[in-house]
Amino acid sequence: MTSSASKRLFKEYRGLSSDPPEGIMAGPVSEDDMFLWEAFIQGPEGTPFEGGVFPAELKFPKDYPLAPPTMRFLVDVWHPNVYANGNVCISILHPPGDDPHQYEQASERWSPIQSVEKILISVMSMLAEPNDESPANVDAARMWREKRADYEKIVKENVRKSLGL
Amino acid sequence: MAEQTLNVPQLVVFIVLAFLGVRWYLRKPAAGSTRPTGQSHGVRIDPAQIDQVAQMFPQLDRRQIAWDLQRNGGNVSATTERVLTGRRLDTPPPSFNPPAPRAASTAQSATPAAKPTKPDLITRYNLASRVGVASEAAASDSASKPKAWSADRNERQANMQRKREEMILAARRKMEAQEKGKAKASGTSAS
Repeated sequence: MTSSASKRLFKEYRGLSSDPPEGIMAGPVSEDDMFLWEAFIQGPEGTPFEGGVFPAELKFPKDYPLAPPTMRFLVDVWHPNVYANGNVCISILHPPGDDPHQYEQASERWSPIQSVEKILISVMSMLAEPNDESPANVDAARMWREKRADYEKIVKENVRKSLGL
Repeated sequence: MAEQTLNVPQLVVFIVLAFLGVRWYLRKPAAGSTRPTGQSHGVRIDPAQIDQVAQMFPQLDRRQIAWDLQRNGGNVSATTERVLTGRRLDTPPPSFNPPAPRAASTAQSATPAAKPTKPDLITRYNLASRVGVASEAAASDSASKPKAWSADRNERQANMQRKREEMILAARRKMEAQEKGKAKASGTSAS
């Protein structure tokens, strides 16, 4: 009954639990549904996101790993590559055929040899180094480029708020 | 012979009456239950449904659409059918307040203007009771390090949850300490 997609997801879950990358944690919300995960990423040190914990929801398609999951932050993340609703826009989450702008290298995009772990690591480094070539949040991108201090202030304020302070 | 020719119109009349009877019966409960309550605790009409009908029949008054939807329990197809069969929509009573149309429905796909703020992590994961307890988490850290991978499914789930809570609480403690330190520093420098 278990499809190859959920088998693969289970294997990734096992790998991530036994040997989690620094500052990253992920797994299915409930093992009843392997296609909905919750991930936690710590804000990278030396960035305004430092000290924060950023939960996100990963939704996997039934034909995973042929198609990539979608990822949505569950707290406010003010970042050029995160939409206002929390959706993450990053090349590794885009299938190779689905790039209208042609600015992303095929090797950066989704393929079955990528993994949840690689996505989360990419997102973590995205937090540290935004890519403002194709911003998802234009206002945040402009602020990041032109008024870095304001940008960092908003990010830090969001981190505080998300920790209930 | 005469008997048989008479039967056909009778049959038609019977079918029509039965159809109307069933329709009346089906409509009645919805209308009856929501009519007296009016807006206050009647069916909550989704503005999107009003929009949907209004897009099909731009000539109709939004208030009338809202009123009809209110009375049939938010059934868009019933309202549509009513209009299509040529029956007019009733005029709502003056006390009826339809829900406000969705703001900026044209700019839907762009940035959602007023998004609800997301709950903080302490609220989201029900950690309020454990926020102040600093020593407990530190103790459990060293005492019962959860195994990385358990063969038992429930244990895995519990481990996940514990790791998650520890991650959030640790971040919160750290941030709190940092703020306290900052407040102290600014306090001493000010005095």
